[in-house]
Amino acid sequence: MSAPAIKVENVWVRFRPYVDRRPTLRRSLATFRHKETQLVEALKGVSFEVQKGEAFGVVGQNGAGKSTLLRVMARTLRPDEGRVVVRGRMSTLLQLGVGFNAQLSGSRNIYLGGLVAGLNKKQVDERYDEIVEYSELGDAIYRPMKTYSSGMFSRLAFAVAMHLDPEILLLDEVLAVGDEGFKEKSMATMHELLDRSGSIVFVSHAVRQLADFCDRAAWLDEGRVRAIGEAHGVVEEYREFVQRRRKELRAQGLA
Amino acid sequence: MTTTTPSPVYYARRFNEYMAELWRRRDFVWFLARGNIKARNASTVLGLAWWVLNPLLLGFVYFFIFGLIFPTQRDIAYLLSGIFVFHYSSQSMSGGANSIIGNSKLLVNIRFPRLILPIAFLLESTFGFLASLVVLYLIVIPFADVIPGPSILWLLVALPLQIVFNLGLAAATARLAVPFRDITNLIPYLTRIWLYMSPIIWPLSMLESVSETFQGLFRLNPMFPIIAVYRTALLGYPLAQADLVAMVAWCLAIGVIGVAMFIKFEGRMVRYL
Ligand SMILES: Nc1ncnc2c1ncn2[C@@H]1O[C@H](COP(=O)(O)OP(=O)(O)OP(=O)(O)O)[C@@H](O)[C@H]1O
Ligand SMILES: [Mg+2]
Repeated sequence: MSAPAIKVENVWVRFRPYVDRRPTLRRSLATFRHKETQLVEALKGVSFEVQKGEAFGVVGQNGAGKSTLLRVMARTLRPDEGRVVVRGRMSTLLQLGVGFNAQLSGSRNIYLGGLVAGLNKKQVDERYDEIVEYSELGDAIYRPMKTYSSGMFSRLAFAVAMHLDPEILLLDEVLAVGDEGFKEKSMATMHELLDRSGSIVFVSHAVRQLADFCDRAAWLDEGRVRAIGEAHGVVEEYREFVQRRRKELRAQGLA
Repeated sequence: MTTTTPSPVYYARRFNEYMAELWRRRDFVWFLARGNIKARNASTVLGLAWWVLNPLLLGFVYFFIFGLIFPTQRDIAYLLSGIFVFHYSSQSMSGGANSIIGNSKLLVNIRFPRLILPIAFLLESTFGFLASLVVLYLIVIPFADVIPGPSILWLLVALPLQIVFNLGLAAATARLAVPFRDITNLIPYLTRIWLYMSPIIWPLSMLESVSETFQGLFRLNPMFPIIAVYRTALLGYPLAQADLVAMVAWCLAIGVIGVAMFIKFEGRMVRYL
């Protein structure tokens, strides 16, 4: 078997947020004497591998650490312990509207988005027409992006991301706002990527869709991998857990 | 392409790799700087004219205060050259910090050498500075009988040095202001004190009336030699070798220290955004 596209090894991420997450000079001086920081362990020793040609899903409750995990894989957040090895060109869609300037037209933002992701101007020039066509935005491409709906935003963002020739794609919830037509189109494009032995890491609360799309999945629970394996199985386990939890809570509420 | 974490410099393992990556992304820097301008133009009526209007108004305000109301400085060429050079450096403090704080979404989600953001700001403010020099000549040629001579070639020395200085300043401020947001509130006051300490609103001859130690203290201000060298370039003042040496030393020192502070902090930066 060839080397994995992403290898996550024993990753720990600890945040030490102050009262309002914005440490200030005064508070920092105060905490100099008695360290009064709250420790949040967002990831607690997470390890797994994503193979080439594989779609890998990540499920878990709010605050489980999914977005943090993706940021570590995107290498914008350095883990406190452990490491991440990435083999291949990566494209990330972690948050909608990132890398775009809403004041500028969609057209200029295609350049901005491409350049942010590491292309040079000539490379964006070559891809420009395809991106516009793929996004299906028509004349809206010349309007400032602040006039776009969230679905239009996501169309353009996805179109740019997929035209960066990624070998690895990280997606965090961003396709949820696309309409049916665009969802189908984006799914088809992602399948093409997988066929070219690219890899996709996919975070979504639409767990049924996620199970259908992904080969394997991991269930993150309070920063730990609770289950990992074939996607349907993991998602089923997660769903049962959530339902059991809800029943317990309801029972407590009644008691 | 294989990349692993962690590493001393989060983006790349080595300093030269970091610089190579910056260079590789020069189109991005350029676009970011120009993109800011375009965005501003789209949302203001006067658009590009602000590049000329801003320094003009700034010069007018200071001339009004320090030339007319409290007449400490009636030499408009001396005053404006000082103001514009000073403003170019002082705005890189708040600009450097804002380039990081204002782009937190980008930093949290996308991986690139973070120094790109202050550099793009610097590039943008350099356009503004060059525009202000045009304004300077538009005023001082008719009103102060200043004719630019061959000494203007000194700009080719002064400008690159000040760019290095400003980059260091922007990077250092960003490094400090990201974890300690209070600093952004302090910047306007620091800027004002710095302005009053610089040879802009008071004439150089004023220094002769204070003690030697005090003089030495004023000369410790990096703005002192920087403005002096610019006045040679722009207004043909005689050049003191000591000023040139001091300017080179200050600019290189601040540039290197600021950039080093910034890059060292880069890996932890997103935790404060
Ligand atoms: N910058 C930060 N500072 C402090 N704590 C943080 C920071 N970012 C995330 N956390 C904490 O880390 C934990 C995991 O957050 P994360 O965003 O990864 O969750 P998630 O699984 O993506 O949740 P959701 O399903 O709501 O998107 C949460 O407890 C969150 O409060
Ligand atoms: Mg999330």
